[in-house]
Amino acid sequence: MLLVLSEEQKAHLGFLPRVGGAAVGELGRLAMELLRRGAAPRVCEAAARKLDIDVDTVQHGVEGLSYLLTESSKLMISETDFQESIQVLGFSDELNQSLLQLYLDNRKEIRSILSELAPKFPSYHSLEWRLDVQLASRSLRQQIKPAVTLKLHLNQNEDQTAQVLQTDPSTLLHLIQQLEQALGEMKTNHCRRIVRNMK
Amino acid sequence: QRFRFCGDLDCPDWVLAEISTLAKISSVKLKLICAQVLRDLLGEAIEYEKILKLTSDAKLESGDVKATIAVLSFILSSAAKHNVDSESLSSELQQLGLPKEHASGLCRSYEEKQSSLQDRLKACSLRLSRLGSVCWRVDYTLSSSELQDVNEPLVHLTFNVQDGEGRRTAVVPMTLSADKFRVLLTGETRGETLTLW
Repeated sequence: MLLVLSEEQKAHLGFLPRVGGAAVGELGRLAMELLRRGAAPRVCEAAARKLDIDVDTVQHGVEGLSYLLTESSKLMISETDFQESIQVLGFSDELNQSLLQLYLDNRKEIRSILSELAPKFPSYHSLEWRLDVQLASRSLRQQIKPAVTLKLHLNQNEDQTAQVLQTDPSTLLHLIQQLEQALGEMKTNHCRRIVRNMK
Repeated sequence: QRFRFCGDLDCPDWVLAEISTLAKISSVKLKLICAQVLRDLLGEAIEYEKILKLTSDAKLESGDVKATIAVLSFILSSAAKHNVDSESLSSELQQLGLPKEHASGLCRSYEEKQSSLQDRLKACSLRLSRLGSVCWRVDYTLSSSELQDVNEPLVHLTFNVQDGEGRRTAVVPMTLSADKFRVLLTGETRGETLTLW
Protein backbone atom coordinates (compact mmCIF):
# COMPACT_ATOMS: atom_id res chain seq x y z
CA MET A 1 0.00 0.00 0.00
CA LEU A 2 1.34 3.40 -0.88
CA LEU A 3 1.16 6.49 1.24
CA VAL A 4 -0.45 9.49 -0.41
CA LEU A 5 0.93 12.88 0.62
CA SER A 6 -1.04 16.06 -0.03
CA GLU A 7 0.58 19.04 -1.76
CA GLU A 8 0.78 20.90 1.54
CA GLN A 9 2.62 18.02 3.20
CA LYS A 10 5.00 17.75 0.26
CA ALA A 11 5.73 21.46 0.62
CA HIS A 12 6.33 21.04 4.37
CA LEU A 13 8.79 18.25 3.84
CA GLY A 14 10.35 20.05 0.89
CA PHE A 15 12.92 21.90 2.94
CA LEU A 16 14.56 18.68 4.22
CA PRO A 17 17.17 18.42 1.42
CA ARG A 18 18.39 21.90 2.35
CA VAL A 19 19.53 20.85 5.82
CA GLY A 20 22.34 18.39 6.43
CA GLY A 21 22.03 14.71 7.34
CA ALA A 22 22.60 15.35 11.06
CA ALA A 23 19.84 17.95 11.05
CA VAL A 24 17.44 15.41 9.56
CA GLY A 25 18.25 13.15 12.50
CA GLU A 26 17.58 16.01 14.90
CA LEU A 27 14.24 16.79 13.21
CA GLY A 28 13.34 13.11 13.36
CA ARG A 29 13.99 13.17 17.09
CA LEU A 30 11.77 16.27 17.44
CA ALA A 31 9.02 14.52 15.48
CA MET A 32 9.18 11.54 17.89
CA GLU A 33 9.05 13.89 20.90
CA LEU A 34 6.00 15.54 19.33
CA LEU A 35 4.33 12.13 19.22
CA ARG A 36 5.38 11.17 22.73
CA ARG A 37 4.68 14.39 24.55
CA GLY A 38 2.78 16.77 22.31
CA ALA A 39 3.79 20.16 20.89
CA ALA A 40 6.87 21.88 22.33
CA PRO A 41 7.25 25.23 20.56
CA ARG A 42 10.35 26.23 22.51
CA VAL A 43 12.28 23.17 21.32
CA CYS A 44 11.34 23.98 17.71
CA GLU A 45 12.59 27.54 18.20
CA ALA A 46 15.92 26.30 19.54
CA ALA A 47 16.28 23.91 16.60
CA ALA A 48 15.37 26.72 14.16
CA ARG A 49 18.10 28.96 15.60
CA LYS A 50 20.67 26.17 15.44
CA LEU A 51 19.81 25.26 11.82
CA ASP A 52 19.45 28.91 10.79
CA ILE A 53 15.96 28.45 9.28
CA ASP A 54 12.82 30.27 10.37
CA VAL A 55 10.61 28.73 13.09
CA ASP A 56 7.51 28.13 10.98
CA THR A 57 9.40 26.03 8.44
CA VAL A 58 10.90 23.91 11.20
CA GLN A 59 7.48 23.52 12.85
CA HIS A 60 5.82 22.46 9.59
CA GLY A 61 8.69 20.15 8.80
CA VAL A 62 8.47 18.42 12.17
CA GLU A 63 4.71 18.08 11.81
CA GLY A 64 5.10 16.71 8.29
CA LEU A 65 7.67 14.17 9.49
CA SER A 66 5.45 13.06 12.35
CA TYR A 67 2.51 12.66 9.93
CA LEU A 68 4.72 10.58 7.64
CA LEU A 69 5.81 8.39 10.55
CA THR A 70 2.35 7.92 12.09
CA GLU A 71 0.63 7.10 8.81
CA SER A 72 3.35 4.62 7.84
CA SER A 73 3.28 2.98 11.28
CA LYS A 74 -0.52 2.94 11.35
CA LEU A 75 -0.70 1.07 8.03
CA MET A 76 2.44 -1.00 8.78
CA ILE A 77 3.69 -0.40 5.24
CA SER A 78 6.64 -2.41 4.04
CA GLU A 79 10.08 -0.94 3.29
CA THR A 80 9.58 -0.94 -0.46
CA ASP A 81 6.19 0.76 -0.17
CA PHE A 82 7.68 3.40 2.12
CA GLN A 83 10.52 4.06 -0.29
CA GLU A 84 8.13 4.31 -3.23
CA SER A 85 5.89 6.67 -1.29
CA ILE A 86 8.69 9.13 -0.50
CA GLN A 87 10.11 8.78 -4.02
CA VAL A 88 7.52 11.37 -5.08
CA LEU A 89 9.24 13.98 -2.87
CA GLY A 90 12.32 13.75 -5.08
CA PHE A 91 14.89 13.48 -2.31
CA SER A 92 18.43 12.15 -2.60
CA ASP A 93 19.03 8.45 -1.92
CA GLU A 94 20.89 9.27 1.27
CA LEU A 95 17.89 11.27 2.61
CA ASN A 96 15.49 8.51 1.60
CA GLN A 97 17.66 6.00 3.42
CA SER A 98 17.75 8.07 6.64
CA LEU A 99 13.96 8.55 6.51
CA LEU A 100 13.49 4.80 6.02
CA GLN A 101 15.79 4.11 8.98
CA LEU A 102 13.85 6.61 11.09
CA TYR A 103 10.62 4.81 10.20
CA LEU A 104 11.93 1.33 10.93
CA ASP A 105 13.58 2.31 14.21
CA ASN A 106 10.51 3.98 15.65
CA ARG A 107 7.70 1.93 14.15
CA LYS A 108 7.04 -0.25 17.19
CA GLU A 109 7.00 2.65 19.62
CA ILE A 110 4.64 4.70 17.46
CA ARG A 111 2.26 1.77 17.19
CA SER A 112 2.14 1.41 20.95
CA ILE A 113 1.43 5.15 21.36
CA LEU A 114 -1.33 4.92 18.72
CA SER A 115 -2.91 1.92 20.43
CA GLU A 116 -3.50 4.03 23.54
CA LEU A 117 -5.53 6.54 21.55
CA ALA A 118 -8.46 4.19 20.97
CA PRO A 119 -11.69 5.25 22.75
CA LYS A 120 -12.15 3.56 26.06
CA PHE A 121 -15.21 2.49 27.92
CA PRO A 122 -15.40 3.10 31.65
CA SER A 123 -13.44 0.30 33.23
CA TYR A 124 -13.76 -1.46 36.54
CA HIS A 125 -11.83 0.05 39.42
CA SER A 126 -13.26 -1.49 42.59
CA LEU A 127 -16.48 -2.74 44.16
CA GLU A 128 -17.64 -2.00 47.70
CA TRP A 129 -20.54 -3.98 49.09
CA ARG A 130 -22.67 -4.14 52.20
CA LEU A 131 -25.25 -6.65 53.42
CA ASP A 132 -28.14 -5.13 55.38
CA VAL A 133 -31.26 -6.63 56.88
CA GLN A 134 -34.36 -4.47 57.25
CA LEU A 135 -36.01 -5.35 60.54
CA ALA A 136 -38.81 -2.84 60.72
CA SER A 137 -40.18 0.24 59.04
CA ARG A 138 -42.68 2.91 59.95
CA SER A 139 -45.44 0.91 58.26
CA LEU A 140 -44.54 -2.65 59.27
CA ARG A 141 -42.73 -4.06 62.30
CA GLN A 142 -40.97 -7.39 62.66
CA GLN A 143 -39.78 -7.97 59.14
CA ILE A 144 -36.73 -9.74 57.80
CA LYS A 145 -35.71 -8.25 54.45
CA PRO A 146 -32.10 -8.71 53.39
CA ALA A 147 -30.60 -6.33 50.84
CA VAL A 148 -27.18 -6.04 49.26
CA THR A 149 -25.91 -2.53 48.55
CA LEU A 150 -23.14 -2.23 45.97
CA LYS A 151 -20.96 0.73 45.05
CA LEU A 152 -19.26 0.17 41.72
CA HIS A 153 -16.24 2.44 41.20
CA LEU A 154 -15.42 3.03 37.53
CA ASN A 155 -12.45 4.68 35.84
CA GLN A 156 -12.74 6.50 32.54
CA ASN A 157 -9.72 8.47 31.35
CA GLU A 158 -8.65 9.30 34.90
CA ASP A 159 -12.26 10.27 35.78
CA GLN A 160 -13.64 8.34 38.70
CA THR A 161 -17.35 7.76 38.89
CA ALA A 162 -19.33 5.62 41.29
CA GLN A 163 -22.61 3.86 40.70
CA VAL A 164 -24.72 2.78 43.69
CA LEU A 165 -26.92 -0.27 43.21
CA GLN A 166 -29.13 -2.20 45.54
CA THR A 167 -30.51 -5.68 45.12
CA ASP A 168 -31.89 -8.59 47.12
CA PRO A 169 -29.80 -11.76 47.48
CA SER A 170 -31.79 -13.87 44.98
CA THR A 171 -31.32 -11.30 42.19
CA LEU A 172 -27.64 -11.15 43.08
CA LEU A 173 -27.37 -14.94 42.76
CA HIS A 174 -29.09 -14.76 39.37
CA LEU A 175 -26.63 -12.02 38.31
CA ILE A 176 -23.68 -14.16 39.39
CA GLN A 177 -25.10 -17.13 37.47
CA GLN A 178 -25.47 -15.03 34.29
CA LEU A 179 -21.89 -13.71 34.59
CA GLU A 180 -20.55 -17.24 35.13
CA GLN A 181 -22.43 -18.37 32.03
CA ALA A 182 -20.80 -15.52 30.12
CA LEU A 183 -17.36 -16.67 31.32
CA GLY A 184 -18.30 -20.21 30.41
CA GLU A 185 -18.76 -19.11 26.78
CA MET A 186 -14.99 -18.85 26.51
CA LYS A 187 -14.75 -22.60 26.88
CA THR A 188 -17.08 -23.47 24.00
CA ASN A 189 -15.62 -24.86 20.78
CA HIS A 190 -16.54 -21.77 18.81
CA CYS A 191 -14.58 -19.41 21.06
CA ARG A 192 -11.67 -21.85 21.38
CA ARG A 193 -11.32 -22.00 17.59
CA ILE A 194 -11.22 -18.19 17.31
CA VAL A 195 -8.68 -17.85 20.14
CA ARG A 196 -6.46 -20.49 18.54
CA ASN A 197 -6.56 -18.67 15.21
CA MET A 198 -5.74 -15.33 16.82
CA LYS A 199 -2.66 -16.75 18.50
CA GLN B 1 -7.73 -26.77 51.50
CA ARG B 2 -9.87 -24.17 53.24
CA PHE B 3 -8.44 -21.47 55.48
CA ARG B 4 -10.40 -19.43 57.97
CA PHE B 5 -8.38 -16.29 57.44
CA CYS B 6 -9.23 -16.45 53.72
CA GLY B 7 -12.92 -16.61 54.55
CA ASP B 8 -13.15 -20.44 54.40
CA LEU B 9 -11.86 -20.42 50.85
CA ASP B 10 -8.60 -21.57 49.24
CA CYS B 11 -5.57 -19.44 49.91
CA PRO B 12 -4.76 -17.29 46.81
CA ASP B 13 -1.78 -18.54 44.80
CA TRP B 14 0.15 -15.30 45.11
CA VAL B 15 -0.05 -15.44 48.92
CA LEU B 16 1.34 -18.98 48.88
CA ALA B 17 4.17 -17.83 46.64
CA GLU B 18 5.12 -14.91 48.86
CA ILE B 19 5.20 -16.94 52.10
CA SER B 20 8.63 -18.19 51.07
CA THR B 21 9.79 -14.56 50.66
CA LEU B 22 8.58 -13.83 54.20
CA ALA B 23 10.63 -16.74 55.51
CA LYS B 24 13.80 -15.08 54.14
CA ILE B 25 13.44 -12.17 56.61
CA SER B 26 14.39 -12.79 60.24
CA SER B 27 11.43 -13.18 62.61
CA VAL B 28 12.38 -10.13 64.69
CA LYS B 29 12.52 -7.89 61.60
CA LEU B 30 9.27 -9.39 60.33
CA LYS B 31 7.49 -8.33 63.52
CA LEU B 32 8.76 -4.75 63.01
CA ILE B 33 7.63 -4.75 59.37
CA CYS B 34 4.21 -5.99 60.55
CA ALA B 35 4.02 -3.00 62.89
CA GLN B 36 4.59 -0.68 59.91
CA VAL B 37 2.00 -2.47 57.76
CA LEU B 38 -0.50 -2.22 60.62
CA ARG B 39 0.12 1.53 60.78
CA ASP B 40 -0.76 1.75 57.09
CA LEU B 41 -3.92 -0.34 57.56
CA LEU B 42 -4.97 1.86 60.47
CA GLY B 43 -4.69 4.94 58.27
CA GLU B 44 -1.42 6.39 59.60
CA ALA B 45 1.52 7.06 57.29
CA ILE B 46 3.70 4.09 56.42
CA GLU B 47 7.47 4.61 56.77
CA TYR B 48 8.76 2.95 53.63
CA GLU B 49 12.41 3.76 54.32
CA LYS B 50 12.28 1.85 57.61
CA ILE B 51 10.89 -1.18 55.79
CA LEU B 52 13.64 -0.90 53.18
CA LYS B 53 16.26 -0.82 55.95
CA LEU B 54 14.70 -3.85 57.67
CA THR B 55 14.63 -5.88 54.45
CA SER B 56 18.12 -4.91 53.34
CA ASP B 57 19.71 -7.77 55.31
CA ALA B 58 17.60 -10.35 53.48
CA LYS B 59 18.80 -8.77 50.21
CA LEU B 60 15.31 -8.50 48.75
CA GLU B 61 14.75 -6.72 45.45
CA SER B 62 12.34 -3.76 45.35
CA GLY B 63 9.63 -5.95 43.82
CA ASP B 64 10.01 -8.43 46.69
CA VAL B 65 9.73 -5.64 49.29
CA LYS B 66 6.45 -4.48 47.77
CA ALA B 67 5.24 -8.08 47.59
CA THR B 68 6.08 -8.53 51.29
CA ILE B 69 4.04 -5.45 52.22
CA ALA B 70 1.17 -6.64 50.01
CA VAL B 71 1.05 -10.15 51.46
CA LEU B 72 1.26 -8.89 55.07
CA SER B 73 -1.54 -6.37 54.35
CA PHE B 74 -3.68 -9.15 52.94
CA ILE B 75 -3.07 -11.59 55.81
CA LEU B 76 -3.68 -9.01 58.55
CA SER B 77 -6.74 -7.34 57.02
CA SER B 78 -8.30 -10.62 55.90
CA ALA B 79 -7.82 -12.15 59.36
CA ALA B 80 -9.44 -9.10 60.98
CA LYS B 81 -12.24 -9.17 58.40
CA HIS B 82 -13.14 -12.79 59.22
CA ASN B 83 -12.56 -12.31 62.95
CA VAL B 84 -9.88 -14.99 63.21
CA ASP B 85 -8.19 -15.30 66.61
CA SER B 86 -4.43 -15.18 66.73
CA GLU B 87 -3.80 -18.88 67.57
CA SER B 88 -5.83 -20.10 64.60
CA LEU B 89 -4.04 -17.58 62.36
CA SER B 90 -0.68 -18.81 63.61
CA SER B 91 -1.51 -22.47 62.97
CA GLU B 92 -2.94 -21.71 59.49
CA LEU B 93 0.17 -19.71 58.53
CA GLN B 94 2.38 -22.57 59.70
CA GLN B 95 0.33 -24.95 57.55
CA LEU B 96 1.16 -22.68 54.61
CA GLY B 97 4.85 -23.08 55.32
CA LEU B 98 5.70 -20.03 57.42
CA PRO B 99 8.25 -20.97 60.15
CA LYS B 100 6.96 -21.09 63.72
CA GLU B 101 8.81 -18.04 65.11
CA HIS B 102 7.74 -15.90 62.13
CA ALA B 103 4.11 -16.97 62.53
CA SER B 104 4.05 -16.33 66.27
CA GLY B 105 5.71 -12.90 65.88
CA LEU B 106 3.21 -11.92 63.19
CA CYS B 107 0.27 -13.14 65.26
CA ARG B 108 1.41 -11.29 68.37
CA SER B 109 1.46 -8.01 66.38
CA TYR B 110 -1.96 -8.94 64.99
CA GLU B 111 -3.40 -9.69 68.41
CA GLU B 112 -2.36 -6.32 69.83
CA LYS B 113 -4.06 -4.41 67.07
CA GLN B 114 -6.93 -6.73 66.18
CA SER B 115 -9.74 -4.69 67.72
CA SER B 116 -8.48 -1.31 66.42
CA LEU B 117 -8.09 -2.86 62.98
CA GLN B 118 -11.66 -4.15 63.09
CA ASP B 119 -12.92 -0.75 64.24
CA ARG B 120 -11.10 0.91 61.37
CA LEU B 121 -12.52 -1.58 58.84
CA LYS B 122 -16.00 -0.96 60.23
CA ALA B 123 -15.54 2.79 59.79
CA CYS B 124 -14.39 2.26 56.19
CA SER B 125 -17.41 0.13 55.30
CA LEU B 126 -19.73 1.31 52.59
CA ARG B 127 -21.82 4.25 53.71
CA LEU B 128 -24.05 6.11 51.30
CA SER B 129 -24.61 9.22 53.34
CA ARG B 130 -24.20 10.46 56.85
CA LEU B 131 -26.09 12.99 58.92
CA GLY B 132 -23.61 15.67 59.86
CA SER B 133 -25.60 17.95 62.08
CA VAL B 134 -29.07 19.33 62.66
CA CYS B 135 -29.83 23.00 63.32
CA TRP B 136 -33.21 24.19 64.48
CA ARG B 137 -35.12 27.37 65.14
CA VAL B 138 -38.63 27.92 66.48
CA ASP B 139 -40.58 30.94 65.25
CA TYR B 140 -43.94 32.14 66.41
CA THR B 141 -46.22 33.54 63.70
CA LEU B 142 -48.29 36.36 65.08
CA SER B 143 -50.33 37.30 62.03
CA SER B 144 -50.30 37.12 58.26
CA SER B 145 -51.89 38.74 55.23
CA GLU B 146 -54.60 36.02 55.29
CA LEU B 147 -55.51 36.01 58.95
CA GLN B 148 -54.95 38.64 61.60
CA ASP B 149 -54.47 36.38 64.64
CA VAL B 150 -52.45 33.33 63.68
CA ASN B 151 -50.49 32.63 66.89
CA GLU B 152 -48.89 29.41 65.67
CA PRO B 153 -45.39 28.11 66.37
CA LEU B 154 -43.26 27.12 63.35
CA VAL B 155 -40.20 24.88 63.45
CA HIS B 156 -37.30 25.36 61.02
CA LEU B 157 -34.89 22.45 60.66
CA THR B 158 -31.67 22.25 58.63
CA PHE B 159 -30.02 18.86 58.07
CA ASN B 160 -26.40 18.85 56.98
CA VAL B 161 -25.94 15.61 55.04
CA GLN B 162 -22.52 14.33 54.00
CA ASP B 163 -21.95 11.76 51.28
CA GLY B 164 -20.42 8.35 52.01
CA GLU B 165 -16.81 9.51 51.94
CA GLY B 166 -17.62 12.56 54.04
CA ARG B 167 -16.62 14.97 51.30
CA ARG B 168 -19.54 16.91 49.92
CA THR B 169 -22.16 18.30 52.28
CA ALA B 170 -25.73 18.88 51.16
CA VAL B 171 -27.93 21.22 53.14
CA VAL B 172 -31.55 20.19 53.46
CA PRO B 173 -33.76 22.89 55.00
CA MET B 174 -37.37 22.30 55.98
CA THR B 175 -40.17 24.05 57.81
CA LEU B 176 -42.79 22.20 59.83
CA SER B 177 -45.86 23.17 61.76
CA ALA B 178 -45.98 22.18 65.42
CA ASP B 179 -48.25 19.17 64.79
CA LYS B 180 -46.12 17.80 61.95
CA PHE B 181 -43.08 18.22 64.12
CA ARG B 182 -44.71 16.20 66.89
CA VAL B 183 -45.46 13.41 64.37
CA LEU B 184 -41.83 13.43 63.25
CA LEU B 185 -40.60 13.29 66.83
CA THR B 186 -42.91 10.38 67.72
CA GLY B 187 -41.72 8.45 64.65
CA GLU B 188 -38.11 9.08 65.69
CA THR B 189 -38.57 7.88 69.26
CA ARG B 190 -40.44 4.78 68.07
CA GLY B 191 -37.57 4.03 65.66
CA GLU B 192 -35.10 4.52 68.47
CA THR B 193 -36.89 2.06 70.78
CA LEU B 194 -36.77 -0.55 68.02
CA THR B 195 -33.00 -0.28 67.80
CA LEU B 196 -32.72 -0.92 71.50
CA TRP B 197 -34.07 -4.47 71.48
